[in-house]
Amino acid sequence: MTLAKLATTLSTLALGLGWCAPVLAADWSQTEAQAKGQTVYFNAWGGGEAINSYIDWAAKEVQSRYGVTVKHVKINDAAEVVKRIQTEVAAGRNNHGSVDLMWVNGENFRSLKQAGLLYGPWAESLPNWGLVDLNKPVRSDFSVPTEGYETPWGTAQLTFISDKAVTPTPPRSATEWLRFAKANPGRVTYPKPPDFHGTTFVKQLLLELAPNPALLQQAVTPQAFASATPALWAYLDELHSLAWRAGKSFPASAAAMHRMLADGELKLSLTFNPNEAANLISSRQLPPTAYSFGFTRGTIGNVHFLAIPSNARAKAGAQVFANFLLSPEAQAHKADTRIWGDGSVLDLGKLSAGVQALMRNKAPGALAESVPTLAEPHASWVEALETEWLKRYGAR
Amino acid sequence: METRQLRLGGWGQLLALTLVGLVFVPLLPGLYWALGPSFKIVVWQTLLSDPQWSQAVSATLVSALLGTLLAGLITAGLATRLYPSPTWQRLQQRLPVLLSVPHVAFAVGLFFLIAPSGWLARAAGLFLSWTSPPDWVTVQDPYGLSLALALALKESWFLLWVLAALLGEQAVTRQLAVARSLGYSPAQTWRQVLWPQLLPRLRWPLAAALAYSLSVVDMALILGPGTPPTLAVLTWHWLSDPDTSVQAQGGAAALALLLLFGVISALACGVWWLLRRWRAYPSGQRRADVQHPWPWQTPLLAISYAVLAVLVLWSVADSWFFPALWPDGLSWDAWRSAKLAPFWTTLWLALVVSLLSLPVVLIWLEWGPQRWNAVLYLPLIVPTLPLVAAQYAALLRLQLDATALALVWSHLLWVLPYMLLTLVGTYRAFDARLMTSARALGCSPLQACLRVKWPLLLRPMLAAWAVGFAVSVAQYLPTLFAGAGRFDTVTTEAVALSAGGSRQVLAVQALLQVALPLAAFVLATTLASAWGRNRKGVR
Repeated sequence: MTLAKLATTLSTLALGLGWCAPVLAADWSQTEAQAKGQTVYFNAWGGGEAINSYIDWAAKEVQSRYGVTVKHVKINDAAEVVKRIQTEVAAGRNNHGSVDLMWVNGENFRSLKQAGLLYGPWAESLPNWGLVDLNKPVRSDFSVPTEGYETPWGTAQLTFISDKAVTPTPPRSATEWLRFAKANPGRVTYPKPPDFHGTTFVKQLLLELAPNPALLQQAVTPQAFASATPALWAYLDELHSLAWRAGKSFPASAAAMHRMLADGELKLSLTFNPNEAANLISSRQLPPTAYSFGFTRGTIGNVHFLAIPSNARAKAGAQVFANFLLSPEAQAHKADTRIWGDGSVLDLGKLSAGVQALMRNKAPGALAESVPTLAEPHASWVEALETEWLKRYGAR
Repeated sequence: METRQLRLGGWGQLLALTLVGLVFVPLLPGLYWALGPSFKIVVWQTLLSDPQWSQAVSATLVSALLGTLLAGLITAGLATRLYPSPTWQRLQQRLPVLLSVPHVAFAVGLFFLIAPSGWLARAAGLFLSWTSPPDWVTVQDPYGLSLALALALKESWFLLWVLAALLGEQAVTRQLAVARSLGYSPAQTWRQVLWPQLLPRLRWPLAAALAYSLSVVDMALILGPGTPPTLAVLTWHWLSDPDTSVQAQGGAAALALLLLFGVISALACGVWWLLRRWRAYPSGQRRADVQHPWPWQTPLLAISYAVLAVLVLWSVADSWFFPALWPDGLSWDAWRSAKLAPFWTTLWLALVVSLLSLPVVLIWLEWGPQRWNAVLYLPLIVPTLPLVAAQYAALLRLQLDATALALVWSHLLWVLPYMLLTLVGTYRAFDARLMTSARALGCSPLQACLRVKWPLLLRPMLAAWAVGFAVSVAQYLPTLFAGAGRFDTVTTEAVALSAGGSRQVLAVQALLQVALPLAAFVLATTLASAWGRNRKGVR
């Protein structure tokens, strides 16, 4: 971002910020006072350069504005953090745990909430909550009600990436995907579940292939699983025989697939961020001919959240940081494809024109078409699908 | 005088035991806490019926056995052909540099080299006019062959280095001359005279190589199979799973690694015993050597230098997609925007750990009960995972996890033994007459040690310090567990980036990982020669 552009953005934002006069001003100023001088250990996936540098930026901002020190603890999998919180609480560390704020959604949120390991409710009393777009699924996380135990941070939608130079017409449904694999044997694959992207791809296929997709919005039962999944396994059996390394091996992550796409080892890649391809083009990770696309009948979309563990040490600091991340300024900066390109959770109508324009700005390579959003299946399906997948395909 | 000496000895021994005890003793309850839940039949039943189990074990066995065996063969082959010769001398001089390339950086470089879109495939593609990478299974192959190759190359340097030290101690040249005068060829001499003496002395380094290969996680994440991964990677996943029953399964898998190690070692000992009985009396027939032996050291060194070269090239590459043999352009962007926090963390950590260890090792060598050295070496010949799990369990109970202190403590467990191993030979070989002379001139035992012995041993002490520094830099699992993920080092950063993301950024972190130990070795050599310039007796 050029300096001049940053300056105009900041000035429009300064106007926007005055808007959010909080009802709970007194309480909130108390929280801010408590937060001053605290160190917040923010546990968030650390595998993306763009995301890491965005978090660095946000950390610097809250340091200078609120005197809160944020340390980004880079993790590979939020499940590890869930484990650490459990172990700490089991060992009696009830108020000085090692995690103050975590990036979470779906299954991990469900298990933390069920086990009573979350602090809250706090999310809906943040001053910036008033700007949140309540039409987005910000109060339900994989069909589990959030009830103020986590605050939305960004939106995501399953998006596919390809290279125009090699693949001018991409597949736009599960059926076309299989046909594409037949025409291009060995050049199609997906990350190995339980990798988050891999599991999402499997869920996407399930949504299209299940005879009664409505079942997937309920908690999984053995009967529902038995009736919904046979078509999926038959599909995967066929797809794997045509896939990269004959489906006997899978890439570890979507990021690894982007690399393979860039080198032409694969013809299709996938991401949960509609702007990621644009981002990768600008950082020379993908050729300029790369582009994003979705399925005609829609792809899975969801919201990702921030939660505070019950044994967090710096709860006030965590809330101040979370509130900053929800501010129009931070959300606009995040939505900028040159920064991260993660979708905003704010209601555009409540923002100033300058911020709106910034959020609508699209860079080459980003998802240009409008793809319908499909709701995530209930969180309990994740584990059932992953277990069965590992049983069927986890070993050659 | 006599009582004073006793008192000093007694206090010294107490100090040595306390210092080493601080590193080792918390492991015992830790092992109980970490692995206790795994001693249930049902845990083992789920482990053995896990669909990934059998293939994970076979990939582990293939990579570990093949890796160790190949490393041994490379070492043996090179020594047999090259010792003694100027080529051997040159190889020996290059070893410290090669050894200082950490496992992770080497794995990353090898990945850039042999992946289907790697440098070798690009070079081949130039002649075969490929437009997309071949559908080859090179890296992350299901049997762990590429992991075995990486381990073999990396461990062969370690074994060569140990062997070079052993050859320096033994009167090998004289034996070679005698055997040659009796008409035996050098190869026969090695087979029948030297290896039977040297192999038993190489058994601990070989065991260390095996233990390392069995439980390596960082290299296996980069080069090993994924569907399913090796047992060590699975164990690590399970140990960090939120579900306590899966954690118990991870504990059982860690024990299984230990068991595998025990069984393989026992089998190896058995084979050695059989060989000794079977080939006890060589025939005495003289055989001629091959006249122009193939220079095996050349490909070994070539791969190593190519690995470093491809890392350097990636770190300064602009966009660089298959099938381009060279980057579209060169740029310093990846270096300019490199994140240096992991570098500084690694630097202070390795400095603190190695500088703490050096006095501890010296006190142990001077006053500690030497018969217990074997216990101190255990971390080197035992798979890492159970130990890391034990450390983490102990730290958790002490509420010390995720602290800098915990991180330093966790590294000591591996740094101490390596430094002891490096130093023990020269320390034992120290000429006792010098100490006697010092005492005769009126020095107290402590004075004699501080003013005569330790200064004279400065060169090996510096070498040991550099080794300790390098070992700390390379630690992956202890850093992750004890640091609770809060401390990024160049090693954890490189492994995290290897899963995806910018190859340029990855190359920079890998090179930073190479730079640190290399700088330590250079510093140690420079200081040692500066110290020894005007002192003839300082070796």
